[in-house]
Amino acid sequence: MTVATDAPARRRLPSVGGTVPLTAARLLRLELRHNAMPWLLPLIAALFWFDSYRPSMGMPQYWVLRTFWNMGQGHTIVDFVPFVAGVAAWMGSRDGRRGTADLLTAAARPRWAMQLATWSATAIWAVGSYLVFVGVMFALYAHQGVRGEPPWWWVAVGAAAILACSAVGFAVGALYPSRFTAPLAAFGALVAMAMSSQIGFSHTSGWAQILPTNSNGNFQPDSGMLYPWLPDLPIARIMFLAGIAVAALGVLGLPAAAGGPRLRRAAAVATLAGLAAAGAGVALAGTARLGPHGLVIPALHDAANDRPIAATPDCAGTGFRVCLNPDYRSELAHVTAALAPVVREVAGLPGAPVRAAQTPAIYSAGEGQGGQAMTISGHPPVLGMPLGALGLPGAFGWTDGMTAGQLRLLFAHAFVGAGNGVGTPAQQAVQAVLLQGAGLPIAMQPNLLGSVGLPSWAPATGGPGPTTPVPATGPVYAAARRLAAQPPAARHAWLGAHLAALRAGQLTLAQLP
Amino acid sequence: MTAAGVHQAAPGAASAPAARLGPAWLRLAWLYLVSRRAPVALALLAGLGALLWVALHWHWNVAGGPAAQMMFPLVTEAGAAAVIAATTYGPFGEPERATGRWLPYLRLGAAVALTAAAIGALALGSTGGGLPGGFATMARNVAGMTGVGLLCAIVLGGMLAWTGPVAYWVLAEAALANGLTTPWIWPARPPADRGAAICAYLVFAAGLALITVRGVRESARDRTT
Repeated sequence: MTVATDAPARRRLPSVGGTVPLTAARLLRLELRHNAMPWLLPLIAALFWFDSYRPSMGMPQYWVLRTFWNMGQGHTIVDFVPFVAGVAAWMGSRDGRRGTADLLTAAARPRWAMQLATWSATAIWAVGSYLVFVGVMFALYAHQGVRGEPPWWWVAVGAAAILACSAVGFAVGALYPSRFTAPLAAFGALVAMAMSSQIGFSHTSGWAQILPTNSNGNFQPDSGMLYPWLPDLPIARIMFLAGIAVAALGVLGLPAAAGGPRLRRAAAVATLAGLAAAGAGVALAGTARLGPHGLVIPALHDAANDRPIAATPDCAGTGFRVCLNPDYRSELAHVTAALAPVVREVAGLPGAPVRAAQTPAIYSAGEGQGGQAMTISGHPPVLGMPLGALGLPGAFGWTDGMTAGQLRLLFAHAFVGAGNGVGTPAQQAVQAVLLQGAGLPIAMQPNLLGSVGLPSWAPATGGPGPTTPVPATGPVYAAARRLAAQPPAARHAWLGAHLAALRAGQLTLAQLP
Repeated sequence: MTAAGVHQAAPGAASAPAARLGPAWLRLAWLYLVSRRAPVALALLAGLGALLWVALHWHWNVAGGPAAQMMFPLVTEAGAAAVIAATTYGPFGEPERATGRWLPYLRLGAAVALTAAAIGALALGSTGGGLPGGFATMARNVAGMTGVGLLCAIVLGGMLAWTGPVAYWVLAEAALANGLTTPWIWPARPPADRGAAICAYLVFAAGLALITVRGVRESARDRTT
């Protein structure tokens, strides 16, 4: 027996820990190259431009208004998810369509791991392209000088929705491979979006807030301008959508062919964890309550987000100063000009405001604020204007003339002390007289009161809208015409003497001169 | 081993003249339809009709303008067109094209029959409630979107043909929401609009003609992705 001392020493094999990530990266690279998603990106880009970007260009240059349609109502998601779900189902059904599913069970890697690599490539293409498209759109907005802060949290919700759709579509494709799987997955995504809109439009609170296209009470001015975007609801939605994604991918690891017992146990845990996260998201959304700056979820709320955004207001006007948040500076001249006729009417009267200052708009339960009243408070009196809750020229089809009329109406309504209600008949009559003095004839006032965007008290006393002529008749308008017929000096003197009683609601129509 | 007896018919086989008669033609059509999964497609179209019935019966219409009111009918119409487009994919490729001289007629017949079945299924589904625009609008939309799907099948291949009707749905919803009125987006036009009907049926005719003459594209993506 001899000892082969000159035999070459066996080279040590590289550690497994180093090769696994390398192999996984190589597999992912292959899947990225052979993915079907890039083929559809030009089509999605065209739809994204047509459906998400193009309609937003008609809105004023505020982030919250520019992105209301595409982020608040989720049209960036709608543009992506049918295609992502369909392509993911197509990629997921690949082994089944080729009849190689059984062959792959004998491969070096567990089938679940290979499926996850295919899904990861699809998700990287889908989420990556979503972020690029949204990034380009936001860059264009920024280049156009859109003011405020972008709704970053809602971008994250969109990315999570794309991720969830890709996971669900992939799971459906892997479990039910067929030529119809991809179109049915895309169709399912369309139905899901339609249902989300259908339920979302009719539910202003509760679990339905989890739906990604529900904008009720969660996407309104002055978010991103006078106060920060609240992240509470976006976090709950991300939990829900990420949970769905994890659960769908976990289901793929449950069959016996997916891998070894340990892997299948991990898949079961992932499925349960995903379902728990999705359920927790729904439960959290159910606890949301409407705060002044958006939907607040107590378990997720950070009080630091309630602090207003510090800013030095921009002011204009001589004598009567109008001060607005710097993000609203483009409205300054319009608002100053709109208020000026009413300022002249009330000048010298007791309680007449010496300046006007913008106040933060308070969130309402529906889509967009329903209009909020102006207030007069302080010593000296200051007119508070929740401009974010009012119509802005260019937004939703409002014109300069319409918004100027609404601003004058709200000023006069606050001045007569009617507050948040319709006011007494005498207050309504004096309001009509002040508006007539400010250039809005009594005959036109029912239509103004019926216009969209005003507080609920306005349509209660007005007509059906600005386009349907409604006669200004009845005891209120008769009294208003009687008072308006008085000489200006006499009318001014009477107002000076009776304003306190008028604001206290102690005057009747018969007591008007 | 010899080849003797090869020319003899197998016991029980039909004689050559009999094979050329009606049953053979029907059998060919049936085999073609089965290879395109037409029975499954018919079941799916029936399901879409049922979904439309449920949506109309339970008032799933979204509150709002025309885009919201048309949302569910358009979804089912786009779904039907996507299903029909998916049936255009053939699994046999070159051998079938080289040997099947009746193939163009089979493609035409299958597309027309499935479109008629889709319109019928959705017409039955529309009995669940008031269908926005009525039967004529639904038939116009289904035909037009099926045409889009068939054209997509010619360009992208049968497996990705569903993207056409789905993309058209997004386009139509955006047009309805933003008041665009080009006749090429026919769902956004009134039911009696002649231009929209011409455009929709023109697209359908173009899809039928091209699918008959050229067939679907045999895409390498069908095999590599």
